[in-house]
Amino acid sequence: MCRRLFSFLLFFAILCSISNAQPVVMGRVFDADKGISLPGVHIKYASNRGVLSDNKGEFRFMPDKGSAKIVFTFVGYGTLVKELDVHDNDTVYLAIGLKEDVTNINEVVISAGRKKQNISDLSVSMEVLKPYQLARYHIINANELLHKTTGIEIMDGQISIRGGSGYSYGAGSRVMTLINGLPALSTDAGNVKWGTLPIENISRIEVIKGASSVLYGSSALNGVINFITRDASIEPLTKLSVSSGIYDSPSRKEWKWWDSPRMIHNISFSHSEVYGNTEIGVGLRAMSDNGYRKLNDDSNIRLSFNVKQKSKKKESLLFGMSVYASINAKNDFLLWDNADDGALIQSKSTAMEYRGLSLAVDPFISFRGSKKGEHEIKARMLSNLNRLPDNANNNSDSYSAYLEYQYSYNLSNKISLVSGLLEQYSIINSNFYGDHKGLNLAGYAQFDFAFSKKISAVSGFRIEEYILDGTAEDPVPIFRAGLNIKAGLKSFLRTSIGQGYRYPSIAEKHAYTTVGAIKIFPNENISPEEGWSAELGYKRSIKGAMVSGEFDIALFYSQNRNMIEYVFSNYIDPVSGEYDLGFKPENIQNSRVYGYETELSLYRNFRGLNTSLNIGYTYMYPVEYSYYTKKSTDNYLKYRRKHSANMSFNTIYRKLSAGFSCYYKSALLEIDDIFLSPDPVTGESILPGFIDYWNNNNKAYALIDLNAGYQIKTDFSLSFTIKNLTNTEYMGRPGDIQPPRYYSVLLSRIF
Amino acid sequence: MRKSTLIIVLISIGIAFFSCNKKDDKSDMFNFLTDNVWLSDSLLVNGEDAGGSGQLLEKFVGEAKFNKDGSGTFGLYSGSWYFTSKETVITITTDELPIPLTCNIIELTAASFKITTAIVDPLLGQLSIRITFKAK
Repeated sequence: MCRRLFSFLLFFAILCSISNAQPVVMGRVFDADKGISLPGVHIKYASNRGVLSDNKGEFRFMPDKGSAKIVFTFVGYGTLVKELDVHDNDTVYLAIGLKEDVTNINEVVISAGRKKQNISDLSVSMEVLKPYQLARYHIINANELLHKTTGIEIMDGQISIRGGSGYSYGAGSRVMTLINGLPALSTDAGNVKWGTLPIENISRIEVIKGASSVLYGSSALNGVINFITRDASIEPLTKLSVSSGIYDSPSRKEWKWWDSPRMIHNISFSHSEVYGNTEIGVGLRAMSDNGYRKLNDDSNIRLSFNVKQKSKKKESLLFGMSVYASINAKNDFLLWDNADDGALIQSKSTAMEYRGLSLAVDPFISFRGSKKGEHEIKARMLSNLNRLPDNANNNSDSYSAYLEYQYSYNLSNKISLVSGLLEQYSIINSNFYGDHKGLNLAGYAQFDFAFSKKISAVSGFRIEEYILDGTAEDPVPIFRAGLNIKAGLKSFLRTSIGQGYRYPSIAEKHAYTTVGAIKIFPNENISPEEGWSAELGYKRSIKGAMVSGEFDIALFYSQNRNMIEYVFSNYIDPVSGEYDLGFKPENIQNSRVYGYETELSLYRNFRGLNTSLNIGYTYMYPVEYSYYTKKSTDNYLKYRRKHSANMSFNTIYRKLSAGFSCYYKSALLEIDDIFLSPDPVTGESILPGFIDYWNNNNKAYALIDLNAGYQIKTDFSLSFTIKNLTNTEYMGRPGDIQPPRYYSVLLSRIF
Repeated sequence: MRKSTLIIVLISIGIAFFSCNKKDDKSDMFNFLTDNVWLSDSLLVNGEDAGGSGQLLEKFVGEAKFNKDGSGTFGLYSGSWYFTSKETVITITTDELPIPLTCNIIELTAASFKITTAIVDPLLGQLSIRITFKAK
């Protein structure tokens, strides 16, 4: 009797609860063309509520009764919005087919204006790189992807956008690198520590091509690369990928020095989850590269942690912190042993073990005070410890504290302002550089004007001062302006002009060392680099019955002066007081680069066969000019090329995917004279056999990469790639022979 | 109307600022050097004359002209020149020398130009060089 009574009460309770239940929305998200389920789709159904589709692409949530606007977003697919009117007890089933979207004309970006903007509304050229581009070719270091991007060249870790930089032996960068808008260049050498960038946990990489110092200060002379980390997902999302690869023998058999396989292993893991108002994301990466060159290996462990907290009381208050840590052990490559049989063997005189520890802590808080204004304070505490076990004299420790306050305000529905104040305090303790203290102070403001629905403009200025060891450089005032015109339903014209500058790095001012037979001298008298760039561009989306995509063309011009280059000559050794031969940074170059860049992306879906084609080409004329006569000289800039092109073709059919990419770069136009000096005391002693090698091998080269993949399950995939299919021999900077053919396999799983 | 005016004013100020932000970098040192044709006066290595036939500085004997566009002729050499280190150093580059020659400027006036440098000879050790030019 008791049992019957209990059952009845339970049934009654369930009935009551059902009769008062909230509406339920459930369903499945899938690829509209291939039919396969899409796990991890972000489904937002209220301003602060949402879920993710599970491993089978299925979802379930309980919205408030009434009208609900449900937004489905997924990387690589077009956003879909579904509006529903739901009532108590309703159970609604949705079958949501998302269409793959390879075009990015409606992509929302944040770097160009320090606020969310549609990419087609910008007045500057911007490239957006996605995580799937890294995964497709098993790329484990961001510089490889950037090097294969239209208009960008990475030479031994140094970035050049549209010919804005050459190669300066690892000191200083003319491209500002950021993580979530915070500077990521090292404090001492001012270079990019590629191993510290958390690419296993990014949503995209935004690249601004052209001077961007108004918003990003010193070092943004040539552009900006902003690594934007992935937001924590509402439903738990765990990703694991494991890859292994092996280098093939070099095409020149006498260069092969190894008996055991030379391999790269990489494992990366990421997890993100939301607990109430708290978002948490964790990333972990471990990598080991034996290296295809003797005494040139690399191992790296990296950890990232992000937490964001929305205030329970004030919805507009958001605060949180990110932590990035990495440990690196490697032997950097500097000079080859000889060109005959030792081009892939590091010269013992320059081989040097390196151990590095990098830790960054980035707290932030943002608050929307009214509908029109938003305050944001963000900071970065960064420390880099560099250890050289074989040469402790070159150890260095650097610490910096960056603090920025940004205020955004909509003056009216046609004018908006983004402004900020920032400081960066840095300390360097080193025998190598000496001990130094630096302080950057800056303020900026940028106005965006919407003249009409079709015409918008931007105008901004900045003033910055740099104080090193108590001595202040002159304050630098700079300006930028831009215009965007919607010329038609699908086409946009843009033009911009902007100034840039770069303070010399601590390394350029103070590094004094000997590497093998080479002396590096400091130069405390070098001045900041300065310049400007301009462009005129046209972007058009292509929407046809069979093909969609976009086309972009840009004419660009940049002019810089006081460019710092390392010059090999006879200098007074600051320690001995005697003259000696070596490299010293000097303000010797005035550069002028102009040219054009064009990109075409096409996408076609035919009977479930998805095909994409991307083509890019950059032509540039990089030349020195006389600042006094304003005329170009006949001298090409060092470490630049006239032509570069790339083409990428990919296709997906059901669970199979395959594609190839081709890259073309023309010959280097000019290098440092010292490497070509016939004097045996200088040229040949630095790089034995280089002159003959250069004369015979400084040619254009083309590379082909292949990829193929299989979706074993919806949450489990296997892919294979071959890089440098034809095993082409090619060189970056002098003596830096690039990798031979490389095979790699990758397994990835979403939990 | 008021807003449009504000916009135009802001953009105009910006462009005006940008276009006016050009400095005239033709310094006195630059003008002294490029306005003159120079004649070698003394060519010394370790304090002794080295301008004679077969000697180290033989090819620097004669006229030197430092052009405003950075090109120049220096005795029998032709090449390029540039100031560095806030115009306290001049570097002379020519295809006929294995390395650019970096020299300290001791004196540069409308009438006189004196530079010093040194090179390291594997056999002879450090060779201190002093070259004096007089305006022609």
